[in-house]
Amino acid sequence: MKLREFEGKRVFAEAGIPVPRGRVIRPGDEPGDLDEFGDEVVLKAQVDVGGRGKAGGVVICPTAEAPARAGDLFGTTIRGLPVTEILVEERLPIVHEYYCAVMVDRSTSQPVVLFAEAGGVEIEETAKNDPDRVRRVGISPLLSGLPPFAVRDLVGAAPKALAPIVSALYRAFLANDAILAEINPLAILEDGRVMAVDAKVIVDDNALARQGIAQNRDLSEREREAERHGFSYVELDGDVGVVGNGAGLTMATLDLIEHYGLRAANFLDVGGGADRERVAHAVRLLALSPGVRVIIVNLLGGITRCDEVALGIVDAGVRQRIIVRMAGTNEEEGRAILGEHGYEMYGSMDEAVAAAAGGTR
Amino acid sequence: MILADRKSGVIVAGATGRQGLFHIGLMNDYAREVGGTGVVAGVTPGKGGQEAAGVPVYNSIREALREHDAQASVIFVPASAAGDSIMESAANGLELAVAITEHIPVHDTMKAINYARLYGTTVIGPNCPGLISPGEAKLGIMPAHLARPGPVGVVSRSGTLTYEIVDELSRAGIGQSTVVGIGGDPVIGSTFTDILARFERDPTTKAVVLVGEVGGALEQEGAASTSLPLVAYIAGVSAPPDKRMGHAGAIVEGGEGDARSKIRALEGMGIAVASRPSEIPDLVRPYL
Repeated sequence: MKLREFEGKRVFAEAGIPVPRGRVIRPGDEPGDLDEFGDEVVLKAQVDVGGRGKAGGVVICPTAEAPARAGDLFGTTIRGLPVTEILVEERLPIVHEYYCAVMVDRSTSQPVVLFAEAGGVEIEETAKNDPDRVRRVGISPLLSGLPPFAVRDLVGAAPKALAPIVSALYRAFLANDAILAEINPLAILEDGRVMAVDAKVIVDDNALARQGIAQNRDLSEREREAERHGFSYVELDGDVGVVGNGAGLTMATLDLIEHYGLRAANFLDVGGGADRERVAHAVRLLALSPGVRVIIVNLLGGITRCDEVALGIVDAGVRQRIIVRMAGTNEEEGRAILGEHGYEMYGSMDEAVAAAAGGTR
Repeated sequence: MILADRKSGVIVAGATGRQGLFHIGLMNDYAREVGGTGVVAGVTPGKGGQEAAGVPVYNSIREALREHDAQASVIFVPASAAGDSIMESAANGLELAVAITEHIPVHDTMKAINYARLYGTTVIGPNCPGLISPGEAKLGIMPAHLARPGPVGVVSRSGTLTYEIVDELSRAGIGQSTVVGIGGDPVIGSTFTDILARFERDPTTKAVVLVGEVGGALEQEGAASTSLPLVAYIAGVSAPPDKRMGHAGAIVEGGEGDARSKIRALEGMGIAVASRPSEIPDLVRPYL
């Protein structure tokens, strides 16, 4: 789950990384006395999208105008998301912007720390076009922190004041079960102080509970509802609902739907050992999603009992057309139950999706 | 055939839970059918002395190894303790640890995998269906009746999609040397590269089907590392960016790891990429 900037900065501050003085305000809040932040402030919309600055989500203004400008910002949307929180911060005189991040490296199964002497908005371009300017050091996860040589290799000839920040960022990465912890820009100010001007932290979804995070904000209400039933669910914008078992098979079903010129309404993986009740739940959940005209059920597995699945589909009793492909134990019994109730069943996923294409075109 | 054969003795960690009990039964059914060793013991801390699906249960792998000869573990323990179970397998000298468990925090997985490396233990998974060498051994939860012995290796990040493809191959009369599910998590103990290196050393494997999905770049890295004939399938062409498609690792992040760019990269290496699973047998056949 992505933390918002102000939450990420709280995490950084706890790890000993200096962050700008600031305060979060919400619509209807009395902004209170902002004079402590100096003559000028930065208003930063706390929305979960990238490219916020370019989309008008960051406003620099005299402190006296801040309440009015914040009021305007609350009325807007940034890349489709309404602004409900604004971080008001002191404006800082920046001399140079660096980049520092820690992330999980899939190729080596270790954390990797990145550092670049040229940070800021162009870092992605730099990483792509001139990757040698981003220094990378892999770290054994068996260590509890960064060894000094790694910090020296990362910081190189950049100011020594950056070294403790790099170490602290790594500690924050470990302590928060992060899959990404990024400071961009990591700024040197006119007076020589070092400051994390922005914060991007993504917490591992599998560690939310032990991090004390009750709810995954990255999921929609319907996606959370599905998660409570033990389903993996993603909303898409087509009209063909999909129930599958296993992430790969469900994705492959979606791809086949696209291959046949249709558009999937969702991704729903019911998980292992789908029984009557779970299947009924899943089919009902899709039937209630707006715009679903046809539902494809694609279940494969040695232990899936087709008669159970068939009964679940019948139990769901939804009005949409349902096309079933399943293979497993008691296939014949399942086919008989579905046939009795007028549902279509096919032996292969190609046939099932082709049937959907024939019927909805 | 790679990783395990009929002589491999297996310890199941998390033996007394629903999953553990059920799959000890299925693994040993298969072992009896093929004349293999199968699961010799179960482990659940605090449940030593009990029996699980016909095998004795011990409090630890250390205790189990005093009474039994085993080279591998299959791990069903809950996510919060599964990393520990991988480390326990390694510290007790097992050659192979197959972690079925899903939802292990990635920091636990990184630690466990790097710890296992110190002992030379091969980790498969986590969040995987395990492996099957048809006619020899089954370690994990794959439905055995779909697989047939033969010359094609299968290595996949998926579970049920692997069964689908194995079924397609078997129906087309193409058997498998070993089928390995390497897991759907972002960090896994054995990558495509690791498994392909084993297939390359295996005299029975003539070609490999590589089944990938969105997220990361392990497919391209693996394909570039081997000289074996490969046929690939990549799931998730229709997956939207920044959405986790069921597997923790199946996510297009920061514009990277999407299916189309993987397919382009693989085709650029001269590898045939199936646009749907049913095309795979015809693409593999010329290599046999």
